[in-house]
Amino acid sequence: MWRRLYKNKMAMVMIGIILMTTIIGIFAPFFAPHDSYKINILDKYAPYSLEYPLGTDNLGRCILSRMIYGIRPTLFLSLLTMIGTISIGTVMGLLAGYFTGIIDEIIMRMVDVMLSFPSQIMVFAVVALLGVDVRNVILANVFIKWAWYARMIRTNVMKYKDTNYVLYSRCIGNKESFILFRHLLPSISSEMAVLATLDIGWAILNISTLSFLGLGVQAPTPEWGAMLSEAKNVLTTNPNQMIAPGVAIVILVAAFNFLGDALRDALDPKEKNL
Amino acid sequence: MKTYILKRIGSAIPLLFCISFLCFVFINLIPSDPAEVALRVRQTPVITEQAIEEVREELGLNAPYLVRYGRWLMNCLSFNFGVSYTNPSRTVLGEISRCLPATVQLAMVSLIFVILLSLPIGFLCAVFQNSWFDKIVRAIVFMTTAMPAYWIGLLLIWFVSIYLDLLPTSGSGSMKHIILPAITVSLTYISTYIRLIRNNMLENMKEDYVLYANVRGLKQTNILIRHILKNSLHTCIVAIGMSIPQLISGTIVVENVFAWPGLGKLCIESIFNRDYPVIQTYVLLIGTLFVVFNLIFDIISYVTDPRLRGDK
Repeated sequence: MWRRLYKNKMAMVMIGIILMTTIIGIFAPFFAPHDSYKINILDKYAPYSLEYPLGTDNLGRCILSRMIYGIRPTLFLSLLTMIGTISIGTVMGLLAGYFTGIIDEIIMRMVDVMLSFPSQIMVFAVVALLGVDVRNVILANVFIKWAWYARMIRTNVMKYKDTNYVLYSRCIGNKESFILFRHLLPSISSEMAVLATLDIGWAILNISTLSFLGLGVQAPTPEWGAMLSEAKNVLTTNPNQMIAPGVAIVILVAAFNFLGDALRDALDPKEKNL
Repeated sequence: MKTYILKRIGSAIPLLFCISFLCFVFINLIPSDPAEVALRVRQTPVITEQAIEEVREELGLNAPYLVRYGRWLMNCLSFNFGVSYTNPSRTVLGEISRCLPATVQLAMVSLIFVILLSLPIGFLCAVFQNSWFDKIVRAIVFMTTAMPAYWIGLLLIWFVSIYLDLLPTSGSGSMKHIILPAITVSLTYISTYIRLIRNNMLENMKEDYVLYANVRGLKQTNILIRHILKNSLHTCIVAIGMSIPQLISGTIVVENVFAWPGLGKLCIESIFNRDYPVIQTYVLLIGTLFVVFNLIFDIISYVTDPRLRGDK
């Protein structure tokens, strides 16, 4: 699988983009030319220049620095979302698929209800209930997304649990938890990786959308969606304000989407989707 | 066939109960006491313990949980969704019905765009697979899935309304106002359906009946339209039908970008104002729509596709 992925040049470029963004985000203070909060009202809406490579915003803050610091909430919050989603989804899916019976019934009915709501509405409902806060946005995203993973993992566990090696493992007296985490989990991890990669793109879009609407990351903190929200107010006078954050989101999300597709192709070369 | 339809309806009812229960739990989880809120809504000057107790008795808040759920559900079934917290002179039903037409209008126009654009483009992409047209469309489709909807909206506003000065930037009223929001809403769905139709047709092209039709020497256009398209259209129409509630709920972001006076804008305003009854009703409405549309199109696909019936 890795060799096939390695051959895919575009996929390697995408991994490069993602890694680079992550590194720049982690070491933001080294890369940012200015303080992302420093207000310089005299220099507001400065055009592109050597000192301010991407210009300045409505308070004269350096946009490039804000973009670089903005990687942190955008990328790391979505990673956090995915970690939460996958862990809850995995546990639920493993439980449902492995123990079947009443546990399966209860979990799957919950999953049905979760999947019968449009995800976006659920996010808004949870944020509305818990109040406007970044933590709540992540909770909301995890809350609506775990059901997808639970269902996918359950189907796969059902498929694998009667295979000979699992039956053998039980025969020689291995503990149930050992079978679950050492036998079943690895066999479904590759499929999970594909889904998770594609969903990171989704999470980035979702978090930035909520920030854009003012429900996520709040004002002075640099975040790409929130920056676009500020840019919206000056759309008529300074349209170039909305270019940098938008392009950055598109590139990052596209990178994750492309990588997800490439991973899927590498896993299953027969099915070539778009 | 009748048993299937009955069974399908039977499975939808518990789901609706679950959704309504979730909505009911939702309003009971809010940090404020409903009796206190009710007093504040009535603009009682001094809120005393005794007054709260009286209101609690009056509103039946002392009754057991399930009894209250039953009462609330009966109220909902008779379209009595309560009163808005922020503006006591308005009922939730009034607020929703004030905003619903605009959203339905936007969703309808978007749906028309989706059908008119995705069907022919997806068809052409499948027919001329790997041609330059197909490649360009696939690149565009790939880009649009990575673009946030609100950014597309902003770009459209800037380019069409400000740079070219063709259409109004926001608000509603004339036909001109609806074009940009509808394009923004439909773009994500168009790319999804182009992909769906294209892949579906390519799958169908590999089937034996196409080979047989070719062997019989039928005209290519005939095979494409009468055989392949007909078979692929079925799945696509069902998929598009099931996504109608998603279109309605998907307008939230776009409505806020274009200041479109619909449900989405109401929803966001309510979130900021902590107007819980409105949010609750909105979630209930969308959830119900979702279940109902899924049910309808499931049955339609069952009725119209003999292959599904044959399996039983």
